[in-house]
Amino acid sequence: MISAAAVWQQYLTPPGIWDEMSTGNIIRQQYDKVFEALQHLSVEALQHKDRLAAELFMNQGITFTVYSDNKGIERIFPFDIIPRIITSAEWNHIEKGIQQRLKALNMFLKDIYNEQQIIKEGVVPADLIASCPHFTREVFGIQVPHDIYVHISGIDLIRGENGTFYILEDNLRTPSGVSYMLENREVTKRIFPNMLFENKVKMVSNYPLMLHQILIQLAPAQVSNPYVVLLTPGVYNSAYYEHTFLARQMGIDLVEGRDLVVDNHKVYAKTTNGLKQVHVIYRRVDDEYLDPLVFKPDSVLGVPGLVSAYRKGNVAIVNAMGNGVADDKAVYNYVPAMIKYYLNEEPILPNVPTYELSDAEARQHVFKNINNMVIKRTNQSGGYGMLMGNSASEKEIDDFKKAVEADPRSFIAQPIIKLSTVPCFIDGKFVARHVDLRPYALCGPEGIQIVPGGLTRVALREGSLVVNSSQGGGSKDTWVIE
Amino acid sequence: MLSRIADSLFWLNRYMERADGMLRTTLSHAVLLLDKDVNSDLSWQHVLETFTYCSDEEIDVLKNDTRAVLDKLLLDGTNPNSLKVIVTRARENARGAQDHITKEVWEHVNGLYHYVNSPELEKQLHGFQMIETIEELLHESTLYTGVADSTMPRGQGWDFMNLGKYIERCLITIEIADKFFSMIDYNLEDEKDILHWRPMLLSLSGYELHLKNYRSNSFNDNALHQVLFNGHFTRSVIYSLNRLNKYIRDVMQLNETEAKEILHKMFGRIRSRVEFADFASLNKETLEPFLTGVKDEVNDFSMQFAQNFFSYS
Repeated sequence: MISAAAVWQQYLTPPGIWDEMSTGNIIRQQYDKVFEALQHLSVEALQHKDRLAAELFMNQGITFTVYSDNKGIERIFPFDIIPRIITSAEWNHIEKGIQQRLKALNMFLKDIYNEQQIIKEGVVPADLIASCPHFTREVFGIQVPHDIYVHISGIDLIRGENGTFYILEDNLRTPSGVSYMLENREVTKRIFPNMLFENKVKMVSNYPLMLHQILIQLAPAQVSNPYVVLLTPGVYNSAYYEHTFLARQMGIDLVEGRDLVVDNHKVYAKTTNGLKQVHVIYRRVDDEYLDPLVFKPDSVLGVPGLVSAYRKGNVAIVNAMGNGVADDKAVYNYVPAMIKYYLNEEPILPNVPTYELSDAEARQHVFKNINNMVIKRTNQSGGYGMLMGNSASEKEIDDFKKAVEADPRSFIAQPIIKLSTVPCFIDGKFVARHVDLRPYALCGPEGIQIVPGGLTRVALREGSLVVNSSQGGGSKDTWVIE
Repeated sequence: MLSRIADSLFWLNRYMERADGMLRTTLSHAVLLLDKDVNSDLSWQHVLETFTYCSDEEIDVLKNDTRAVLDKLLLDGTNPNSLKVIVTRARENARGAQDHITKEVWEHVNGLYHYVNSPELEKQLHGFQMIETIEELLHESTLYTGVADSTMPRGQGWDFMNLGKYIERCLITIEIADKFFSMIDYNLEDEKDILHWRPMLLSLSGYELHLKNYRSNSFNDNALHQVLFNGHFTRSVIYSLNRLNKYIRDVMQLNETEAKEILHKMFGRIRSRVEFADFASLNKETLEPFLTGVKDEVNDFSMQFAQNFFSYS
């Protein structure tokens, strides 16, 4: 039997990178107890826990399907058993920063779809907004309940070389992954019950209840017992598990577009007992598929007439339509300015320095230093449409340069930030892998709440900085400890 | 309840019941076929006729080849009624209604799906563990019934699930009985001994009940009575109809529908036809039309029911 203590000796933290557990020779205080507990386990015991975790995910159907040779193979999203730990002090800082940012972003969305003061005063350029593919003219002037546009957000944070947290991107449309945050914790409870208890880890499991409370509050005021539903694109959507999970945890109906119908600007569900009016829709269908009469005419995922019911205020839609204009990767650059403009405050959490490639000078600078840059398409996510300058081939770089020259507005560049690392248990060894952090914030009439924790995504390939699940990423349980 | 959800729950249980019926039949045949002398005229023929769409030529080739039959019945993805396909469909329906079934029911169906799709299953079925493996599959199917029964809340969802289950069960029983009575040309006078009926009764898990309850030597009449009219036998036609009667009443109470009257009468006719049938009048001429008639009416009812409650697209 090999003891984990011996294996820890080989844990190496790459130089010049912030490791969440170790400073190179000292274990950070927040990891003391976990490190100590892991020392006493054998490698076999850890491998057993690893397998147990995988089985738990598989049996619950928390899987996605990979197709090869015309056969669908079900895989789980990789889960690493070692938790990522955040201290209370760090968390307070993150929490305040996100609350501030969301406040400003909500005000921006209200402004941009109504008065557009921020453009008139020249803080955000008009052409930037006009050229944003997610600026949705169809929802201009719609009054949303309590002036809240972003009810649910998953803002991605990364930690740089010196331990500073940066905002990497704002996900304000239909961010996913919250079920993994919750399920990861449930799995940890089964594999490391003592460790959780000893470390006094703050609870995340009340997230669905908080969300449900907000959804109810958004219903038209005169309705005493609102009918709230979760709208899913259906069983073939990769996040379908999450949709069923949330619907079940909140006790609301999970509906598809074909279950709903609009009559006289009101939305109804088709039930065995006839039509039943729907008051609040938590939708996990993208804007462009929501209403074939207004957006993509061939969409079968949406409900014809939904926008008209929304405009009349007969149904609340969560998140609001048109939020994409605020999480565009080029608009991102102006969020610090929004915070100053709307709140008259300095941003608590900084942005990663960003170059807009529509600016010729910036473009030249980026091309010159391309080996230290990451170039991203402004309207894509999930790790797609991205070039990592330090690892791309000459040809890939040339192709990307051409694409940028052809349509510079659709690209931004950022210096490559070496994300912080966390120990992972892979193939019987402890190795350092890069991570990011996505806390889930809920914004309701009573303010902005964030469950302490979030989803830590980890790039499981050695040296990789891309954490997206579509690109070989996995996840970890995230602890905020007292 | 959403019409789509009601539809999914109905079909989830229809498919699970079909899987159960097929596994029960498969197991009893796989075991009986090992006794060569006694069951010399027994083959897989009517099992293939009941649970696959194979042509007569194909059946001739397959009927004495247990390994090929098991592949066809359980694993063949191109056979629309193979266990693999049925369980996949059951799981799809469970997935679509995941927020209306319990976590336990979902995990059980999902676990069965992964088991049926695992590469080990084929190896086990082809090796020494053949019987043991079919038993294990049947055990999983029986467990499903128990898990659903002990965790699912009573209410509309449960009602729709049971409607699916008992419609399917009723049809399977008629189908299996029809095959066995066709073998004696529906001639109830032509006395067969109990060994002829043993495969049928074992396929319906009714053999022991038969031995306990039917003492006379009129084996044909006894077997017919048990599968059609014995209200204590859980796989008899009348038992399924009695259960359906309860769940139809419950669903009608909760949903005001224009077609209520039509459905009510339609079902009443089927039930009366079986409940008040004159057993003595069933003979070589009348038995086949009777079985076919009940089967067709149950199918018609199922369609009318679906049209009324599940039309959402």
